Amino acid sequence: MSRSPGAIARFVASRLASVLLTLFGATVLLFLMVRLVPGDFASVMLGPRATPALRAQIVHEMGLDRNVVEQLWLFVSRAVTGNFGQDVISHRPILDIVLEVIPNTLALAFSALALALVAGIPLGVVAALRPGSWIDTILALLSISFITTPTLVVSIILFLIFAIGLHWLPVAGAGDAGSPLDQLRHLILPSIAMALGWVGYISRLVRASLLDTLTELHVRTLRAYGVSELRIVGIFALKLALVPVVSILGIGLGDLIGSSVVVEIIFARPGIGSLIFNSIAQRNYPVVQAAVIFIVAFYIIANLVVDLINAMLDPRIGKSLTARDG
Amino acid sequence: MTLNLDRRTFLLGSSALSMLPFARFAFAADARENPIVAVDTDIGNLDPGNRVGTTEANILLCCCQTLVRFKPGVLDWENDAAKSIKQISDTEFEFELNPGQMFTGGYGEMTAEDVKFSFDRFINGDRDGKKLTYADDMEALKEVQVTGKYTGKLILKHPSAALWLIAMADGSGAILSKKAVEELGDKIATTLIGSGPLMLKEWRPKEQFVLAVNPDYKGPYKAHFQEIVAKIIPEHKTSFLSYQAKELDFTAFDFDQIETAKGLPDTKIIDIPGIDYTWIGINVEKGDLADIKVRQAIRWAVDVDAIIQGAYSGAVSRAKTLLAPGLLGNWADAPLYARDVEKAQALLAESGKTGLAFSFTCLNDAQSLAVAQIVQANLAEVGITININALDSGAYWALGADDASKDLELSLIPYTSKFDPSFQTQWFLSSQIGLWNWQRWSSPEFDKLHQEGLETLDKKKREEIYIKMQELLDESASCIWITHGRNLFVNASWLKPTLLPNGKDWQFEYFAKA
Repeated sequence: MSRSPGAIARFVASRLASVLLTLFGATVLLFLMVRLVPGDFASVMLGPRATPALRAQIVHEMGLDRNVVEQLWLFVSRAVTGNFGQDVISHRPILDIVLEVIPNTLALAFSALALALVAGIPLGVVAALRPGSWIDTILALLSISFITTPTLVVSIILFLIFAIGLHWLPVAGAGDAGSPLDQLRHLILPSIAMALGWVGYISRLVRASLLDTLTELHVRTLRAYGVSELRIVGIFALKLALVPVVSILGIGLGDLIGSSVVVEIIFARPGIGSLIFNSIAQRNYPVVQAAVIFIVAFYIIANLVVDLINAMLDPRIGKSLTARDG
Repeated sequence: MTLNLDRRTFLLGSSALSMLPFARFAFAADARENPIVAVDTDIGNLDPGNRVGTTEANILLCCCQTLVRFKPGVLDWENDAAKSIKQISDTEFEFELNPGQMFTGGYGEMTAEDVKFSFDRFINGDRDGKKLTYADDMEALKEVQVTGKYTGKLILKHPSAALWLIAMADGSGAILSKKAVEELGDKIATTLIGSGPLMLKEWRPKEQFVLAVNPDYKGPYKAHFQEIVAKIIPEHKTSFLSYQAKELDFTAFDFDQIETAKGLPDTKIIDIPGIDYTWIGINVEKGDLADIKVRQAIRWAVDVDAIIQGAYSGAVSRAKTLLAPGLLGNWADAPLYARDVEKAQALLAESGKTGLAFSFTCLNDAQSLAVAQIVQANLAEVGITININALDSGAYWALGADDASKDLELSLIPYTSKFDPSFQTQWFLSSQIGLWNWQRWSSPEFDKLHQEGLETLDKKKREEIYIKMQELLDESASCIWITHGRNLFVNASWLKPTLLPNGKDWQFEYFAKA
């Protein structure tokens, strides 16, 4: 990467500004959307015990009796200081409720992504090195199967084989807080279930990208200079072929965090997906808003990081980005 | 000792390490001394008056003392925190506490002031005057008078048979430390200071909580296990699979899994007939449904037996009235409406109504939808069109507010019960129209009988009152009773769990080795 530190700083600053703008837009949109959903928290939580007086009391405690603009201002002004208010039922800070589940979801998403990369890249390389061969065909079938099999189905199958049938791995929960080994054991099945679709996706992407790269002029030049095929693929071509993979990592992380709800529910793992799902069902708007903002922020930041990594991997991208931004 | 890390050693070591997580998990189960159980909801609020569900109630009852405590697995009670309770009149009780009952966390000895403080919150609200969610449990209580360090009086507004059953011996009756509540403020929602046989040792939200023996507990109900770990697993299917993987020793399961449960080794099944009630409510104010002949026709046309088979896999028994068998006031002779299409068609002809179409509102879970579809097919045969309106729980339960129920026509309603019949009959009162009486059926006689039932202490008389109330409901043809449900549990054969007859109230303090 041959840009000046000033250009990079300007690029990062301009991206951060757009991050804040996007975050604000997402906050407002989310805020308005959750209020369009019919139903109220008191009725869901208390059922027939929700008398009009109790309902009014809870509506007041949640601040839902104020006008929408006032509610939005209060929410945004508090959120920027990290104050999302107190949960109406447990009286615990909402920030605490969100923060205590985020590590579980991040661990799940990152381990799934790591698995997807570790398995997907070699499969893609193998397929690209033998295009049209029987290995390529088998890997294509396998990849498409991985992509098209829903996470729900994979979860249940893994569950039945490894937890119920073989008793090798635990079924539910995130493991004992004090035991990393136990936590690792609880992470294996859910992360495989989440990773499988991305294994197929990444392997297809690497295959296509590598095949393109291998036909480029600089590769022909390297071959003409007698550089070994292993060095060409492993050092020069793969680096460029990985640019589109890195580009989708940000989206992949966002997707994995967003889709973690299915896996978290099946494996009874505490996490942000199941927190949002349950909070929506309960119409616990303050918790939904806080949790979604964390996901949005993470998603945007992950994409920013991906842009920076891409700029480092491919000088052409870096040059165009800094030229555009500064 | 030297370690030569060559290629072979590295490969061997890393292979062994990678297999470590796969080490047979079941080994842990064989060595367990304390049980691990599954609960389907997390702790929401541990304030007895603001609790949300049965999880909190079950924790409160083993970690706190009540004046009286249910005996293991039955609805009879005996003194707990109270050394004696003496009935002075129908509305006055004197109590004396056992001395030396210590609150956890160093909050001192329980006195009559703590009893007064705990119960006054139900009468006067919390420290900010806000009404407690469960305040109505103590509706009959007028005041608590303190007459000595350990003695006091309960003064009732009117005689009440339900007070002891649904309040004093239940979660609402948990006695808190006045000093702790005043010091902790809002934190009592998640910090439990009790004086019961167990204490809440640890709570990891959304994951698990641990109940441990309270070393300061001096009463007769000493816990049998040093610890009980409760894993929070919302889905019964997941907890049942965890049980099969030997990660759990006790869990509830769905009735479609009963054959699997029967085949499990070292397992006992607990099967408790439900006391809850699911019914089809018919809005008696809405359009053509205001005609009782149309409602009666619908009642004859709906095949409840087919619903039991189709939507509940035949695993539950059919309900024929509001109060389940085993509850005081169960109407054993209630009529059973076996499907009769001809009768239904004749009633519709008498009403002169044709081309009828109604909405059927239900929750959007698979079971409710199956019920809706069977009803739709049943009523189509007699010329009534049903449009299914399936709602998620948030939208569905919001129908209990702002008079939203006025637009309902037919609705499938699942309610939970308590042991006293007055808890069930209250939702059918005229005063509940616009709230939870979705049938919008109003009967001054029913309302009067409800009040009589609350204030009558004679068991036989109460029984007659509640049967009469169910007869009135039957005459209204506003309800088609479906089922009281069923509660199924599996437990490792070495464990003996104890549950009250509703299957919801678990008495952790009585859990023991078989």
